[in-house]
Amino acid sequence: MALEYVTVTFPTRRLVYIDGERSGYTNEILRVDTGTHLFTLGRYANYAPASQTITVTETTVLEPLEIVFTKKVVT
Amino acid sequence: MAMQSTRRIALLICVLLLAACASFPPNPPLAQYNPAAGYRFDQLERGANSDELFIIVSFSGGGTRAAALSFGVMEALRDTQIEWKQRKVSLLEEVDVISSVSGGSFPAAYYALYGARIFDEFPEKFLYRPIQSDLLKQLFLPYNLVRLASPSFGRSDLAAEFYHREIFNGGTYADVIKRGQRPFIILNATDMSRGTQFSFIQDQFDLLCSDLNGIPLARAAAASSAYPGGLTPLTFQNHAGSCQYQQPPWVALAAKDHSSRINPRRTARAEERLSLTDEGAGRRDYIHLTDGGVADNLGLRAPLTALTSTNHPWSVLQMMNQKKVHKLVIITVNAATDPATQRDKTPNIPGLVDTLTAAATVPLANYSFDTLELLTATVRTFNQEARLIEGCKKLAATKGEQCTLDIPTPHQVQWFPIQVAFEYIADSEERNWFKNLPTSLELPHSAIDRLRAIGRRLLSEDPNFRKLIQALQGCLPDAQQAC
Repeated sequence: MALEYVTVTFPTRRLVYIDGERSGYTNEILRVDTGTHLFTLGRYANYAPASQTITVTETTVLEPLEIVFTKKVVT
Repeated sequence: MAMQSTRRIALLICVLLLAACASFPPNPPLAQYNPAAGYRFDQLERGANSDELFIIVSFSGGGTRAAALSFGVMEALRDTQIEWKQRKVSLLEEVDVISSVSGGSFPAAYYALYGARIFDEFPEKFLYRPIQSDLLKQLFLPYNLVRLASPSFGRSDLAAEFYHREIFNGGTYADVIKRGQRPFIILNATDMSRGTQFSFIQDQFDLLCSDLNGIPLARAAAASSAYPGGLTPLTFQNHAGSCQYQQPPWVALAAKDHSSRINPRRTARAEERLSLTDEGAGRRDYIHLTDGGVADNLGLRAPLTALTSTNHPWSVLQMMNQKKVHKLVIITVNAATDPATQRDKTPNIPGLVDTLTAAATVPLANYSFDTLELLTATVRTFNQEARLIEGCKKLAATKGEQCTLDIPTPHQVQWFPIQVAFEYIADSEERNWFKNLPTSLELPHSAIDRLRAIGRRLLSEDPNFRKLIQALQGCLPDAQQAC
């Protein structure tokens, strides 16, 4: 079984979408299967980058992969 | 004389025309892909069934033996009273998913169609009925013999017609959707060309651009139990490309992971999906389905994927990430046998039939063993997370208060893997009796009675079932004692 661990960080609590499916919340440890996944956040679209495609592998529950989203700066 | 010959030729032509006309019933096309409609896990009403206690039950193959054992477990689940969310409910009412194969698909399909009516009707409709003899009678009717001469109408099509008429009363998936309640019941067959599991759910039929609504449960049960050799595979038309279906984003990503080999299981699932939607040279116009036991005789592989992948039509991993699930129960009902053999008592070389039977059944048994081991490993992986974090915290604490660690933990779930299998019968004589029951669609009434009773007893004796009942302040009455 290939289980991986990620933490999707964002300044506030947001829904995390993995491969377009609702899969938990930001700033918590989430489980995902090994492989390449598409990460996005729930509304609103005031975050950057708009999406991240990341290959998740070789993580442990003690060392989850951190995927960082920031607040989009309005210019 | 010439007149007689002409009549005979005319009769022969009529017969051949009739044979040519016989064909499998077409599966309806899907006009437009709609993820918010059809037989899908997330389209079913939860009702009073909570996600916090999530129960998955799998019914194995094994003909009527498997059907009776599964039915016995269902009776026991119905009779088990638990205290949950400040109310007393039957454990069966909390079952969320049933995944079935072959013989186990008959009670599963009946329950999907008729709910609790199964307990009054199914024993007479199926369990105590000589289905095998009835099927043979159908086979030798002259009209059917002619139809069977057609290359696109097989013995399983005939069996499906019989089940449709005699067991499932004409029920289709449209009727199951109308009920709209959990459990989500998944009948599994095997895609003969790919050797992969093929589930009778709309998420699978989307790939064929076909509407599961119009498909009889009898046809799903017949595909799931199309025992190779005795019964023919069932054919389904692939309408792929006609319903604006789009693969979910993970499929392309997992297919791209093929060369890096980081998760071959996920990649294989993506490639299977792509094979069904291929509109190019590799287009598969027809899909031939054989017994679900060929791909997985426990019906446990799909649940295992749901537990360990976020890319699944009813991903439990997603639900765990969303902290919806607190207690996870997986009940495996396994009617596998291990018939006694005199092979090793003689120096004679085993015959062809014996050798071919071993070649067909040994890999199946080994694969089932590995599937159960995979479930054990999965449970262990989840349980080890918490132990690992706890161990680190304890170790850090020994270095002084200033070293206390605050390690975030993923949402923890309490697991209850439960197994109902003849191998857990303590008494060797009794165990051997069950392990030598044949795989058939008819068994003596006394054997059915014993299978129903042993299903109940094995469930009640499972150590994790006892823990579950304790945790839920539950009770399963036995013959002597009421709750």
